[in-house]
Amino acid sequence: MTLGYVLLQNLRRNPLRSGLTMVAFALPMAVFVVGISLVLALQQVSKANEAELRLAVQNRIALVNALPERLRREIEALDPEKKRIVAVCGFRWFGGRVPNAKSGIQSLGVDPDTFPIVYRELRWTEEEELNWQRDRRAAVVGSNVAAQYGWRVGDRVTLESTVPPYLALEFVIVKITDVTGRVNGMYLRRDYFEESRAERGFRTPGCNVFWLRCTSIEAMREMQSLIDGHFANSPNETRTMDENAFAASFTEALGNLPGLMQGIALVVVFIVALVAGNTMMMSFRERTRELAVFKAIGFSNRRVFGVVLAESVLLALVGAAAGIAPTAAVLSAVGVRTVGFLPITSLSVSPTAIVVAMCIALSVGVAAGLVPAWQAIRLNTVSALRRVG
Amino acid sequence: MGAAGIVLRDVHKAYFKDRLEIPVLAGLNLEIAPGEFAALMGPSGSGKSTLLHLVGGLDTPTRGSVRVGESQLESMSESALTAWRSRHVGFIFQMYHLVPVLTAAQNVELPLLLFRMASSERKRRVQTALSIVGLGDRTDHRPNQLSGGQEQRVAIARAIVTDPDVLLADEPTGDLDARTSEEILNLLNALNTEFGKTIVMVTHDPRAAGHAGRTLHLDKGVLDREEVNARKTAAASAS
Repeated sequence: MTLGYVLLQNLRRNPLRSGLTMVAFALPMAVFVVGISLVLALQQVSKANEAELRLAVQNRIALVNALPERLRREIEALDPEKKRIVAVCGFRWFGGRVPNAKSGIQSLGVDPDTFPIVYRELRWTEEEELNWQRDRRAAVVGSNVAAQYGWRVGDRVTLESTVPPYLALEFVIVKITDVTGRVNGMYLRRDYFEESRAERGFRTPGCNVFWLRCTSIEAMREMQSLIDGHFANSPNETRTMDENAFAASFTEALGNLPGLMQGIALVVVFIVALVAGNTMMMSFRERTRELAVFKAIGFSNRRVFGVVLAESVLLALVGAAAGIAPTAAVLSAVGVRTVGFLPITSLSVSPTAIVVAMCIALSVGVAAGLVPAWQAIRLNTVSALRRVG
Repeated sequence: MGAAGIVLRDVHKAYFKDRLEIPVLAGLNLEIAPGEFAALMGPSGSGKSTLLHLVGGLDTPTRGSVRVGESQLESMSESALTAWRSRHVGFIFQMYHLVPVLTAAQNVELPLLLFRMASSERKRRVQTALSIVGLGDRTDHRPNQLSGGQEQRVAIARAIVTDPDVLLADEPTGDLDARTSEEILNLLNALNTEFGKTIVMVTHDPRAAGHAGRTLHLDKGVLDREEVNARKTAAASAS
């Protein structure tokens, strides 16, 4: 037997109370870990985006309002010598869904000539690029989507669009990408898309967003103001932003996530500390006589302090682990691929989030155990023994 | 470990409550020989438990000296007293005070956790202590699976497992029926006669005190009178 064993057995003393206190740790820690993981996943995407020197140009009013196709040429004309812009690529929302599937795929029609340039991080092979340029039905698919539907390169797949004119088109997969931020998407050739729309009488080719690859950060800044200035007071006023700002416009609906997480963390720490502190005080009061006996038989103040504090810490850590472990297991089993329009590859519990949560649990455990541990030191053995006859 | 004698010289002890001094022991002089079994009797407030606490190093006198074996307790620091208690004193309480979530063997093992000792040696000592108190077959029982008498036996095993010089018992039969009390007192007797432990027992029960070799009557913080148990002394001489 060790003192550690005694501590574990102490948690069994009042199983209901220990269990409820652990739940008080488990639930907020589970929520906290998911939140932190979400923030970290977004930061990861954000970091990856920063390196790509891309600008998004969309309708100033709303993304859903398509800009005319010709704006691409006007944007390119703003930098005739191509000193600041490498290439411009128009995107149009296709909103495809595999027939009879429950959920849709983030599928977009893209300009076939410039897509491999603007998204060069997809690491194109010569063969892939050739197939992309050669076949109007070519499609690039994210690895999560491919895995979900069991698609491989060369497969012919049919997607039904969820937006007018509700096209059902066949595509040929020429590339599967696992690049961060692109694994949940599917990219189609816009020319094929627009021609099919035109056949249904929709003769308004346009783009929801133009993506520009720039030559440098300075070039991005210059083009941003140049483009918005150029289209100001026109029927197609634009809003130009970098990729992170573009992504943030989607996550704004969820509020300031990092700030929210910090707020939650503080509230969680405070509430759980109160709950755990209360539990430890009750436990201490119930065991006053027992701790007095411990001291009588030779346990030093330091050791008694350690026993009480360690019990609190153990309760906190076991409680936190009880919340985090199932959360991580469920997330990895279910494999949450995306959260709405968030540009994250998948939501899995980050090791950093686990470490942070366990550190918080540890701190709360120490904070909650300090007062009873200190009282255990101050406990007058003689008085405590007298009280019990 | 052998037995230790106890010598108290002009021991005063007072407690303070709201700046009011409450004297408990008032110049007590007392000697208990090594290997003696002494009973402490007296009315409530006479200083019996206080005396037990002073001898056990749980408290220090306001004035005077307390010597147990070779140790002069009044001059020792709190941490030194704690370490001393773990090696030299075994406590037996009226309400047993076992840890409810531990088995009998684990309760007995508790004081041994303070020593650097191999697990096998700890187990051997625990088994020996439980066998001495007649509970060698109850090692895996938890306190709530034992009778009051058995719980007190476990508490006695916990007190003797470190092989202390002195056993201090505070009304060890106060919560037990007459028959079980007799068993516990016989056990204490055996620890005194067969293992030579010095035992000091606080009791209100004259029959319990009859098991001791000498009964010390305290009143108002001083030794009022003492009685020698002739039957016990004769039995000891005969053996």
